[in-house]
Amino acid sequence: MAYKPQYYPGNTSVAKNRRKHMSDDVEKMRDISDEDLTALLGHRAPGADYPSTHPPLSEIGEPACPVREVVAPTPGAAAGDRIRYSQFADSMYNGPATPYWRSYHAAINFRGVDPGTLSGRQVNEMRERDMEEYTKRQAETEITDWGLSGLRGCTVHGHSLRLQEDGTMFDMLDRRRLEGGVIVSDKDQVGVPIDRKVNLGKPMSEAEAAKRTTIYRVDNVSFRSDKEVVEHVQKVWELRTKYGFVPKA
Amino acid sequence: MVRAAPIPGKPIQIKVFPSRLLQPETAEKLLNEIDQVKGVIRMLVGGKNLPRKVTCGPGTGSDVNHPNREVIHVGDIAFELHVMVGEVIVEVEDESSKEELIRACERALPFPFEFKQGFFIKTKATLVDYGKYGFKSKDDESINLEDERMLGLIDPHANPESNLCIVAGEGK
Repeated sequence: MAYKPQYYPGNTSVAKNRRKHMSDDVEKMRDISDEDLTALLGHRAPGADYPSTHPPLSEIGEPACPVREVVAPTPGAAAGDRIRYSQFADSMYNGPATPYWRSYHAAINFRGVDPGTLSGRQVNEMRERDMEEYTKRQAETEITDWGLSGLRGCTVHGHSLRLQEDGTMFDMLDRRRLEGGVIVSDKDQVGVPIDRKVNLGKPMSEAEAAKRTTIYRVDNVSFRSDKEVVEHVQKVWELRTKYGFVPKA
Repeated sequence: MVRAAPIPGKPIQIKVFPSRLLQPETAEKLLNEIDQVKGVIRMLVGGKNLPRKVTCGPGTGSDVNHPNREVIHVGDIAFELHVMVGEVIVEVEDESSKEELIRACERALPFPFEFKQGFFIKTKATLVDYGKYGFKSKDDESINLEDERMLGLIDPHANPESNLCIVAGEGK
Protein backbone atom coordinates (compact mmCIF):
# COMPACT_ATOMS: atom_id res chain seq x y z
CA MET A 1 0.00 0.00 0.00
CA ALA A 2 1.35 3.42 -0.97
CA TYR A 3 2.34 5.66 1.90
CA LYS A 4 -0.11 8.47 2.53
CA PRO A 5 1.17 11.30 4.69
CA GLN A 6 -0.92 12.16 7.72
CA TYR A 7 -0.38 15.86 8.07
CA TYR A 8 -2.52 16.92 11.00
CA PRO A 9 -5.11 15.35 13.30
CA GLY A 10 -8.62 16.58 13.98
CA ASN A 11 -12.11 16.61 12.53
CA THR A 12 -13.06 20.28 12.67
CA SER A 13 -13.01 22.60 9.66
CA VAL A 14 -9.87 24.28 11.03
CA ALA A 15 -8.03 20.95 11.25
CA LYS A 16 -9.13 20.05 7.73
CA ASN A 17 -7.92 23.43 6.43
CA ARG A 18 -4.59 22.90 8.16
CA ARG A 19 -4.24 19.55 6.39
CA LYS A 20 -5.11 21.21 3.09
CA HIS A 21 -2.45 23.87 3.52
CA MET A 22 0.21 21.36 4.49
CA SER A 23 -0.56 19.03 1.60
CA ASP A 24 -0.96 21.87 -0.93
CA ASP A 25 -4.45 20.60 -1.70
CA VAL A 26 -5.74 24.16 -1.89
CA GLU A 27 -8.30 25.80 -4.10
CA LYS A 28 -7.21 28.42 -6.60
CA MET A 29 -9.23 31.59 -6.03
CA ARG A 30 -7.78 34.18 -8.42
CA ASP A 31 -5.26 34.85 -11.17
CA ILE A 32 -2.32 37.17 -10.68
CA SER A 33 -0.05 37.62 -13.68
CA ASP A 34 3.70 37.05 -13.38
CA GLU A 35 4.39 40.71 -14.19
CA ASP A 36 1.98 41.95 -11.52
CA LEU A 37 3.48 39.62 -8.95
CA THR A 38 7.01 40.73 -9.83
CA ALA A 39 5.93 44.35 -9.43
CA LEU A 40 4.36 43.60 -6.04
CA LEU A 41 7.50 41.86 -4.82
CA GLY A 42 9.66 44.77 -5.97
CA HIS A 43 12.92 42.85 -6.28
CA ARG A 44 13.40 43.48 -10.02
CA ALA A 45 11.59 45.33 -12.79
CA PRO A 46 8.80 43.30 -14.41
CA GLY A 47 10.10 41.65 -17.55
CA ALA A 48 13.76 42.15 -16.63
CA ASP A 49 16.22 39.25 -16.52
CA TYR A 50 16.94 37.56 -13.24
CA PRO A 51 20.16 39.03 -11.86
CA SER A 52 22.53 36.26 -10.80
CA THR A 53 24.89 35.87 -7.93
CA HIS A 54 27.00 33.13 -9.55
CA PRO A 55 27.27 31.51 -13.00
CA PRO A 56 24.85 28.67 -13.82
CA LEU A 57 25.84 25.42 -12.11
CA SER A 58 26.28 23.73 -15.49
CA GLU A 59 29.06 26.21 -16.31
CA ILE A 60 30.78 26.07 -12.96
CA GLY A 61 31.68 22.41 -13.15
CA GLU A 62 30.72 21.05 -9.78
CA PRO A 63 33.00 18.72 -7.85
CA ALA A 64 32.21 15.02 -7.78
CA CYS A 65 29.75 14.56 -4.94
CA PRO A 66 27.21 11.75 -4.49
CA VAL A 67 24.71 14.09 -2.82
CA ARG A 68 24.87 16.56 -5.70
CA GLU A 69 24.22 13.68 -8.07
CA VAL A 70 21.17 12.57 -6.14
CA VAL A 71 19.62 16.01 -5.51
CA ALA A 72 18.72 17.99 -8.58
CA PRO A 73 19.12 21.74 -8.04
CA THR A 74 16.04 23.94 -8.13
CA PRO A 75 15.67 26.09 -11.27
CA GLY A 76 16.77 29.16 -9.31
CA ALA A 77 19.85 27.47 -7.90
CA ALA A 78 20.76 26.00 -11.29
CA ALA A 79 20.62 29.44 -12.87
CA GLY A 80 22.53 31.13 -10.03
CA ASP A 81 19.71 33.46 -8.94
CA ARG A 82 19.99 35.81 -6.01
CA ILE A 83 18.32 34.92 -2.73
CA ARG A 84 15.22 37.06 -2.34
CA TYR A 85 12.31 37.10 0.09
CA SER A 86 8.57 37.50 0.30
CA GLN A 87 6.75 38.13 3.53
CA PHE A 88 3.09 37.79 4.42
CA ALA A 89 1.07 39.02 7.39
CA ASP A 90 -2.31 37.48 8.23
CA SER A 91 -5.04 38.86 10.42
CA MET A 92 -5.96 37.04 13.60
CA TYR A 93 -9.62 37.72 12.72
CA ASN A 94 -10.07 34.49 10.79
CA GLY A 95 -7.24 35.07 8.36
CA PRO A 96 -6.97 31.98 6.15
CA ALA A 97 -3.35 31.28 7.06
CA THR A 98 -1.07 31.76 10.01
CA PRO A 99 2.72 32.11 9.95
CA TYR A 100 3.19 28.46 10.97
CA TRP A 101 0.97 27.14 8.22
CA ARG A 102 2.58 29.30 5.57
CA SER A 103 5.92 27.84 6.68
CA TYR A 104 4.58 24.29 6.63
CA HIS A 105 3.14 24.85 3.16
CA ALA A 106 6.44 26.26 1.89
CA ALA A 107 8.76 23.74 3.53
CA ILE A 108 6.72 20.65 2.68
CA ASN A 109 5.83 21.51 -0.90
CA PHE A 110 8.80 23.53 -2.17
CA ARG A 111 12.56 23.05 -2.17
CA GLY A 112 15.36 25.41 -1.29
CA VAL A 113 13.19 27.17 1.28
CA ASP A 114 14.32 29.14 4.30
CA PRO A 115 11.12 30.00 6.16
CA GLY A 116 11.13 32.47 9.01
CA THR A 117 8.13 32.02 11.27
CA LEU A 118 7.34 34.96 13.52
CA SER A 119 4.34 35.84 15.64
CA GLY A 120 2.65 38.11 13.14
CA ARG A 121 4.42 37.55 9.86
CA GLN A 122 6.08 34.87 7.85
CA VAL A 123 9.10 35.52 5.67
CA ASN A 124 10.47 33.10 3.13
CA GLU A 125 13.88 33.33 1.53
CA MET A 126 14.57 31.40 -1.66
CA ARG A 127 16.28 31.71 -5.00
CA GLU A 128 14.43 34.45 -6.86
CA ARG A 129 12.53 32.46 -9.48
CA ASP A 130 11.72 29.71 -6.96
CA MET A 131 10.47 32.36 -4.56
CA GLU A 132 8.22 33.84 -7.24
CA GLU A 133 6.72 30.44 -7.98
CA TYR A 134 6.07 29.82 -4.29
CA THR A 135 4.64 33.33 -3.72
CA LYS A 136 2.35 32.96 -6.71
CA ARG A 137 1.02 29.71 -5.33
CA GLN A 138 0.24 31.28 -1.96
CA ALA A 139 -1.10 34.50 -3.48
CA GLU A 140 -3.50 32.85 -5.91
CA THR A 141 -4.98 30.20 -3.67
CA GLU A 142 -7.18 30.08 -0.60
CA ILE A 143 -4.06 30.36 1.57
CA THR A 144 -4.32 34.11 1.05
CA ASP A 145 -7.34 36.36 1.34
CA TRP A 146 -6.10 39.78 0.29
CA GLY A 147 -8.58 41.48 2.62
CA LEU A 148 -7.26 39.67 5.69
CA SER A 149 -3.69 39.14 4.52
CA GLY A 150 -1.01 41.28 3.02
CA LEU A 151 2.32 40.99 1.23
CA ARG A 152 4.41 43.12 3.55
CA GLY A 153 8.15 43.30 3.34
CA CYS A 154 8.27 45.80 6.19
CA THR A 155 5.86 47.62 8.52
CA VAL A 156 3.73 44.52 9.00
CA HIS A 157 1.71 46.10 11.85
CA GLY A 158 -1.91 45.00 11.61
CA HIS A 159 -2.26 41.27 12.15
CA SER A 160 -3.50 41.58 15.73
CA LEU A 161 -5.53 44.77 15.31
CA ARG A 162 -9.25 45.10 14.97
CA LEU A 163 -10.33 45.09 11.34
CA GLN A 164 -11.18 48.30 9.55
CA GLU A 165 -14.80 49.25 8.99
CA ASP A 166 -14.69 47.78 5.49
CA GLY A 167 -13.58 44.42 6.92
CA THR A 168 -9.97 44.57 5.73
CA MET A 169 -6.82 44.35 7.81
CA PHE A 170 -5.17 47.65 8.73
CA ASP A 171 -2.18 48.59 6.60
CA MET A 172 -0.20 51.57 7.81
CA LEU A 173 1.47 52.03 4.42
CA ASP A 174 -1.75 51.63 2.42
CA ARG A 175 -0.21 49.08 0.08
CA ARG A 176 -3.55 47.51 -0.77
CA ARG A 177 -7.07 48.72 -0.19
CA LEU A 178 -10.70 47.90 -0.97
CA GLU A 179 -11.89 49.74 -4.07
CA GLY A 180 -15.17 48.95 -5.79
CA GLY A 181 -15.54 45.61 -4.06
CA VAL A 182 -12.07 44.33 -4.98
CA ILE A 183 -8.70 44.64 -3.33
CA VAL A 184 -6.22 46.67 -5.36
CA SER A 185 -2.58 47.32 -4.72
CA ASP A 186 -0.49 50.13 -6.17
CA LYS A 187 2.63 49.71 -4.04
CA ASP A 188 5.20 46.96 -3.73
CA GLN A 189 5.71 44.98 -0.53
CA VAL A 190 7.91 47.67 1.05
CA GLY A 191 5.57 50.57 0.30
CA VAL A 192 7.21 51.98 -2.84
CA PRO A 193 4.64 53.03 -5.47
CA ILE A 194 4.57 50.87 -8.61
CA ASP A 195 3.51 51.82 -12.12
CA ARG A 196 0.30 49.80 -12.07
CA LYS A 197 -2.78 49.02 -10.03
CA VAL A 198 -2.85 45.29 -9.41
CA ASN A 199 -6.29 43.75 -9.00
CA LEU A 200 -6.07 41.14 -6.24
CA GLY A 201 -9.68 40.03 -6.48
CA LYS A 202 -12.64 40.06 -4.17
CA PRO A 203 -12.00 39.62 -0.46
CA MET A 204 -13.67 36.71 1.30
CA SER A 205 -16.92 37.35 3.11
CA GLU A 206 -16.89 36.98 6.89
CA ALA A 207 -18.66 33.62 6.64
CA GLU A 208 -16.27 32.31 4.01
CA ALA A 209 -13.21 33.46 5.95
CA ALA A 210 -14.56 31.68 9.03
CA LYS A 211 -14.98 28.54 6.93
CA ARG A 212 -11.49 28.64 5.38
CA THR A 213 -9.45 29.79 8.36
CA THR A 214 -6.67 27.75 9.97
CA ILE A 215 -7.04 29.67 13.24
CA TYR A 216 -8.85 28.22 16.21
CA ARG A 217 -10.94 30.94 17.81
CA VAL A 218 -13.48 30.76 20.61
CA ASP A 219 -15.93 32.76 18.47
CA ASN A 220 -15.57 30.37 15.53
CA VAL A 221 -14.14 26.87 16.04
CA SER A 222 -12.55 26.59 19.44
CA PHE A 223 -9.36 24.62 19.99
CA ARG A 224 -10.92 22.67 22.87
CA SER A 225 -13.74 21.47 20.65
CA ASP A 226 -11.29 19.35 18.65
CA LYS A 227 -10.53 16.46 21.02
CA GLU A 228 -8.18 14.67 18.64
CA VAL A 229 -6.03 17.80 18.24
CA VAL A 230 -5.92 18.38 21.99
CA GLU A 231 -4.88 14.75 22.49
CA HIS A 232 -2.18 15.09 19.82
CA VAL A 233 -0.80 18.34 21.26
CA GLN A 234 -0.72 16.85 24.74
CA LYS A 235 1.07 13.77 23.45
CA VAL A 236 3.71 15.87 21.69
CA TRP A 237 4.12 17.97 24.82
CA GLU A 238 4.52 14.89 26.99
CA LEU A 239 7.04 13.23 24.69
CA ARG A 240 9.22 16.30 24.27
CA THR A 241 9.14 16.92 28.01
CA LYS A 242 10.26 13.37 28.67
CA TYR A 243 12.91 13.68 26.01
CA GLY A 244 14.14 16.81 27.79
CA PHE A 245 15.42 14.44 30.48
CA VAL A 246 17.16 12.33 27.80
CA PRO A 247 15.93 8.97 29.08
CA LYS A 248 18.45 6.22 28.48
CA ALA A 249 17.14 2.86 27.40
CA MET B 1 -6.40 79.97 25.83
CA VAL B 2 -7.90 81.18 29.07
CA ARG B 3 -6.68 80.20 32.45
CA ALA B 4 -9.10 77.66 33.81
CA ALA B 5 -9.67 76.56 37.34
CA PRO B 6 -9.06 72.90 38.14
CA ILE B 7 -11.91 70.70 36.96
CA PRO B 8 -14.81 71.10 39.40
CA GLY B 9 -16.81 68.29 40.99
CA LYS B 10 -16.00 64.64 40.43
CA PRO B 11 -15.43 64.12 36.74
CA ILE B 12 -15.46 60.60 35.39
CA GLN B 13 -13.61 59.14 32.44
CA ILE B 14 -15.10 56.83 29.83
CA LYS B 15 -13.31 54.85 27.13
CA VAL B 16 -15.31 54.21 23.96
CA PHE B 17 -13.74 51.24 22.18
CA PRO B 18 -15.45 50.31 18.87
CA SER B 19 -15.14 46.78 17.51
CA ARG B 20 -13.71 48.16 14.24
CA LEU B 21 -11.11 50.80 13.40
CA LEU B 22 -13.01 53.87 12.25
CA GLN B 23 -12.98 55.51 8.84
CA PRO B 24 -12.61 59.31 9.02
CA GLU B 25 -16.32 59.89 8.28
CA THR B 26 -17.44 57.67 11.16
CA ALA B 27 -14.82 59.18 13.47
CA GLU B 28 -16.03 62.66 12.58
CA LYS B 29 -19.63 61.66 13.25
CA LEU B 30 -18.72 60.05 16.57
CA LEU B 31 -16.67 63.01 17.80
CA ASN B 32 -19.41 65.45 16.84
CA GLU B 33 -22.05 63.36 18.61
CA ILE B 34 -19.89 63.22 21.73
CA ASP B 35 -19.22 66.95 21.47
CA GLN B 36 -22.99 67.56 21.67
CA VAL B 37 -23.26 65.71 24.98
CA LYS B 38 -23.72 68.05 27.91
CA GLY B 39 -20.90 67.99 30.41
CA VAL B 40 -18.03 66.83 28.21
CA ILE B 41 -14.79 68.35 29.48
CA ARG B 42 -12.21 66.83 27.14
CA MET B 43 -11.66 64.00 24.67
CA LEU B 44 -8.56 62.03 23.81
CA VAL B 45 -8.54 60.41 20.38
CA GLY B 46 -6.34 57.34 20.04
CA GLY B 47 -5.66 54.91 17.23
CA LYS B 48 -3.19 53.48 14.79
CA ASN B 49 -0.55 55.80 13.40
CA LEU B 50 -0.83 56.92 9.79
CA PRO B 51 2.66 58.14 8.88
CA ARG B 52 3.33 60.63 6.12
CA LYS B 53 6.38 58.74 4.89
CA VAL B 54 7.69 55.19 5.01
CA THR B 55 9.99 55.11 8.02
CA CYS B 56 11.81 51.80 7.66
CA GLY B 57 12.91 49.25 5.11
CA PRO B 58 14.11 49.74 1.54
CA GLY B 59 11.24 52.15 0.82
CA THR B 60 12.26 54.62 3.54
CA GLY B 61 11.31 58.15 2.59
CA SER B 62 8.56 57.27 0.10
CA ASP B 63 5.27 59.12 0.53
CA VAL B 64 2.48 57.02 2.01
CA ASN B 65 -0.51 59.24 1.10
CA HIS B 66 -2.87 57.22 3.25
CA PRO B 67 -6.45 58.03 2.21
CA ASN B 68 -7.60 58.00 5.83
CA ARG B 69 -5.30 60.84 6.81
CA GLU B 70 -8.10 63.33 6.26
CA VAL B 71 -9.13 66.69 7.63
CA ILE B 72 -12.28 66.30 9.73
CA HIS B 73 -14.54 68.92 11.28
CA VAL B 74 -15.53 68.66 14.92
CA GLY B 75 -17.63 71.45 16.37
CA ASP B 76 -16.24 74.69 15.04
CA ILE B 77 -12.76 73.52 14.15
CA ALA B 78 -11.05 71.36 11.57
CA PHE B 79 -8.01 69.19 12.10
CA GLU B 80 -6.10 66.48 10.28
CA LEU B 81 -6.37 62.93 11.58
CA HIS B 82 -2.94 61.45 12.25
CA VAL B 83 -4.38 58.10 13.26
CA MET B 84 -7.01 55.63 12.22
CA VAL B 85 -9.30 56.15 15.20
CA GLY B 86 -9.53 53.11 17.45
CA GLU B 87 -10.69 54.59 20.74
CA VAL B 88 -11.97 57.80 22.24
CA ILE B 89 -11.50 58.63 25.91
CA VAL B 90 -14.03 61.12 27.17
CA GLU B 91 -14.00 63.00 30.45
CA VAL B 92 -17.40 64.21 31.60
CA GLU B 93 -18.40 66.30 34.57
CA ASP B 94 -20.30 63.59 36.44
CA GLU B 95 -22.24 60.32 36.20
CA SER B 96 -25.34 62.05 34.85
CA SER B 97 -23.76 62.40 31.39
CA LYS B 98 -23.12 58.67 30.95
CA GLU B 99 -26.49 57.72 29.55
CA GLU B 100 -26.44 60.53 27.03
CA LEU B 101 -22.90 59.55 26.03
CA ILE B 102 -23.93 55.95 25.38
CA ARG B 103 -26.82 57.12 23.21
CA ALA B 104 -24.47 59.44 21.27
CA CYS B 105 -22.13 56.51 20.56
CA GLU B 106 -25.03 54.28 19.52
CA ARG B 107 -26.18 56.94 17.05
CA ALA B 108 -22.71 57.32 15.53
CA LEU B 109 -21.41 53.76 15.47
CA PRO B 110 -23.01 51.16 13.20
CA PHE B 111 -21.31 48.30 15.06
CA PRO B 112 -20.86 47.24 18.72
CA PHE B 113 -18.50 49.08 21.03
CA GLU B 114 -17.13 48.75 24.53
CA PHE B 115 -18.01 51.47 26.99
CA LYS B 116 -15.70 51.39 29.98
CA GLN B 117 -15.45 53.70 32.95
CA GLY B 118 -12.04 54.04 34.55
CA PHE B 119 -9.00 56.25 35.00
CA PHE B 120 -7.42 56.83 31.59
CA ILE B 121 -6.13 60.42 31.54
CA LYS B 122 -4.04 61.78 34.37
CA THR B 123 -5.49 64.66 36.31
CA LYS B 124 -2.49 65.68 38.39
CA ALA B 125 0.86 67.00 37.21
CA THR B 126 3.74 64.53 37.36
CA LEU B 127 7.49 64.97 37.35
CA VAL B 128 7.79 65.38 33.56
CA ASP B 129 5.07 68.03 33.59
CA TYR B 130 6.94 69.99 36.23
CA GLY B 131 10.12 69.48 34.20
CA LYS B 132 8.43 70.97 31.15
CA TYR B 133 6.27 73.72 32.64
CA GLY B 134 7.88 74.42 36.04
CA PHE B 135 6.33 76.08 39.09
CA LYS B 136 4.14 79.15 38.86
CA SER B 137 6.46 81.17 41.09
CA LYS B 138 8.84 80.85 43.96
CA ASP B 139 5.94 81.07 46.39
CA ASP B 140 3.40 79.04 44.41
CA GLU B 141 4.51 75.48 43.70
CA SER B 142 1.51 74.57 41.55
CA ILE B 143 2.22 73.77 37.91
CA ASN B 144 2.87 76.70 35.61
CA LEU B 145 0.16 75.86 33.10
CA GLU B 146 -2.58 78.17 31.87
CA ASP B 147 -5.16 75.42 31.59
CA GLU B 148 -4.75 72.30 33.67
CA ARG B 149 -7.12 70.40 31.41
CA MET B 150 -4.16 69.99 29.07
CA LEU B 151 -2.55 67.58 31.53
CA GLY B 152 -2.52 64.05 30.16
CA LEU B 153 -3.83 65.00 26.73
CA ILE B 154 -0.46 65.32 25.05
CA ASP B 155 3.08 64.36 25.79
CA PRO B 156 4.82 67.28 27.58
CA HIS B 157 7.47 67.27 24.86
CA ALA B 158 4.96 67.33 21.98
CA ASN B 159 3.92 70.42 20.09
CA PRO B 160 0.46 71.48 21.35
CA GLU B 161 -0.30 73.33 18.13
CA SER B 162 -0.53 70.15 16.06
CA ASN B 163 -1.89 67.81 18.72
CA LEU B 164 -4.40 69.78 20.75
CA CYS B 165 -7.69 71.34 19.68
CA ILE B 166 -10.02 73.51 21.68
CA VAL B 167 -13.42 72.71 20.30
CA ALA B 168 -15.83 74.85 22.30
CA GLY B 169 -15.76 78.35 23.75
CA GLU B 170 -14.06 79.56 26.86
CA GLY B 171 -16.77 78.39 29.20
CA LYS B 172 -16.35 74.74 28.27
